[in-house]
Amino acid sequence: MRIGKPRIGLLIAGLLAAAFVGADEPDGAMLGHTCAGCHGTYGVSEGQAPVIGGMSKSFIRKAMHDYRSGERHSTIMARLARGYSDEEIAAMAGFFADQEWVSADEDLDPKEVKRGKELHTTRGCVGCHGPKGISSSPLTPRLAGQYSEYLEIQMDYYRDPDTAVPSEGIAMRGMLSGMSDEDVAALAAFYASQQ
Amino acid sequence: MSSMNRRQFVKLAGGAVLAVGALPTIGHGKTKARVIVIGGGYGGGTAAKYLRLYDPSLQVTLIEKNKEYISCPLSNEVLAGDRNLDSLTFGYGGLKGHGVDVIHDEVTEIDPEKKTVATGGGRQLEYDFVVVSPGVGYRWGAIEGYNPSAVEAMPHAWEAGEQTLRLRRQIRAMEDGGTVFIVAPPNPFRCPPGPYERAAQISHYLKANKPKSKVIILDPKYAFSKQKLFQQGWEMHYPGMIEWVGGHQDGKVIEVDPKRKLLVTEFEEHKAAVANVIPPQKAGPIAEKTGLTDDSGWCPVDPRSFESTIHSDVHVIGDSCIAGAMPKSGYAANSQAKVLAAAIAAKASGKRLPEPSYVNTCYSLITPDHGISVAAVYSIQDGEISGVEGAGGLSPLEASAEQRKEEALYAHSWYRNVTADIFT
Repeated sequence: MRIGKPRIGLLIAGLLAAAFVGADEPDGAMLGHTCAGCHGTYGVSEGQAPVIGGMSKSFIRKAMHDYRSGERHSTIMARLARGYSDEEIAAMAGFFADQEWVSADEDLDPKEVKRGKELHTTRGCVGCHGPKGISSSPLTPRLAGQYSEYLEIQMDYYRDPDTAVPSEGIAMRGMLSGMSDEDVAALAAFYASQQ
Repeated sequence: MSSMNRRQFVKLAGGAVLAVGALPTIGHGKTKARVIVIGGGYGGGTAAKYLRLYDPSLQVTLIEKNKEYISCPLSNEVLAGDRNLDSLTFGYGGLKGHGVDVIHDEVTEIDPEKKTVATGGGRQLEYDFVVVSPGVGYRWGAIEGYNPSAVEAMPHAWEAGEQTLRLRRQIRAMEDGGTVFIVAPPNPFRCPPGPYERAAQISHYLKANKPKSKVIILDPKYAFSKQKLFQQGWEMHYPGMIEWVGGHQDGKVIEVDPKRKLLVTEFEEHKAAVANVIPPQKAGPIAEKTGLTDDSGWCPVDPRSFESTIHSDVHVIGDSCIAGAMPKSGYAANSQAKVLAAAIAAKASGKRLPEPSYVNTCYSLITPDHGISVAAVYSIQDGEISGVEGAGGLSPLEASAEQRKEEALYAHSWYRNVTADIFT
């Protein structure tokens, strides 16, 4: 009994410490599961809200910060992002980054996809977004396998000088402003077609 | 398996694997706790699935009387003619795929002392935890003359299905120039923006087919959800067609005569061509019968676990529970179910309950291209579910046509995602 006592004491102290540490750390799954109503279970969206499961942690984190500050325009995300602390955003971003990316399942016009691929190469998109719309930079969003309609909406934001877009993508304003609606749709179809 | 594509595989099989991987602190205990979920809608369906995702060793049984579930969210589009019931109907195969034992039967009794559930089909089941998610019950007779037999002549259509179709048939059979009355319920009730979206969706049909007709909402309330956004949308798309009569304008209906299609307020009688009466509500019948309700008619719960404050190991989620600042919506039920699932999984394996986080987003459609929304993030503050300060709110009144169109797109996207989150 005498030998056991300090051990039990230590165990209790350890459990209390664990509980205390746990209380300070936001639970990524608890937070991330609240997003599924709009973004799908584990961020695998059924469309047209974007697929977010499998995106990089850095990008999701940055996007949430930009929504919260208003640096990035949205319909609803600013209202939701303002509900979370930096630590909570980091935990959610980690939760989604841990998931497997599952590409959008869309019927796309092969001709449009082909034209989009040409634009992607000739207009210089490939420089930042990579040959297939997957960048080597974790702060550049994955476009491959994303919903085409969502991508069109985002590109329209860049084309409209009055809409707030993230500063690191500001070069896209110039690149996209000279494009027609058809060009934007073709680009979106190309990215959506990639895996 | 060979015919299954990668999307389906991740959703069905991979989900559970991912859940364990993503949750290092939960799911290690071989608890084998028995959980019975009563009601397979937005709340109960989500609870059954997420209990299994959080802890695959839990034995989860879902008891639901119907073989198929018909979604109430988006059912106003059936009234507009833009949607059929098939697109709102779901089976329970997806939940079975997650290892949920689905029983189609009606629960007649919950015994919180013996921890058993009895069914109309003669089953007697034991539980360690029971989750009650029965939706709403109706206060029959609160409006004199509005009893269960009145729904033929005056459908409430507040659960989607036969009544939705009946209401649609009545509207279609109505002559041009007739008036459709919507009797809105007092707070709290399921789907706070629902009656006002319904007015818009019915008007969407009338504008194209019976443009001389009107929609009048008789309402005991002095204000309603997303009021300015609705009134703006009504005027924009259906000018002069929709009239809202609030509690301050003698809008409270106290009596109905289903045969004569009469709606009686304190000072007036209204003759309706079509009457959609949405009655005052309370917790679902099984919650009331089990003694889970308080004087308000709804179920008080611990917001951290949704455990009843009246009976231990009985949990209530969705419309029937008192969930602080959260509205009685499908999204809220879906979000509450996940907090509940995490809490039961933790309890079953003797772990500390996680800190809850909840979200609600409610989209409403004024037209197929004009969506509006209200959203909030919730946490526990001072022991109650409260909105996180500075977050949430409504779509801007000054939104552009493009933004309204995007919100309509995301409204439909929400429906696909939330129903997949429950039933696949």
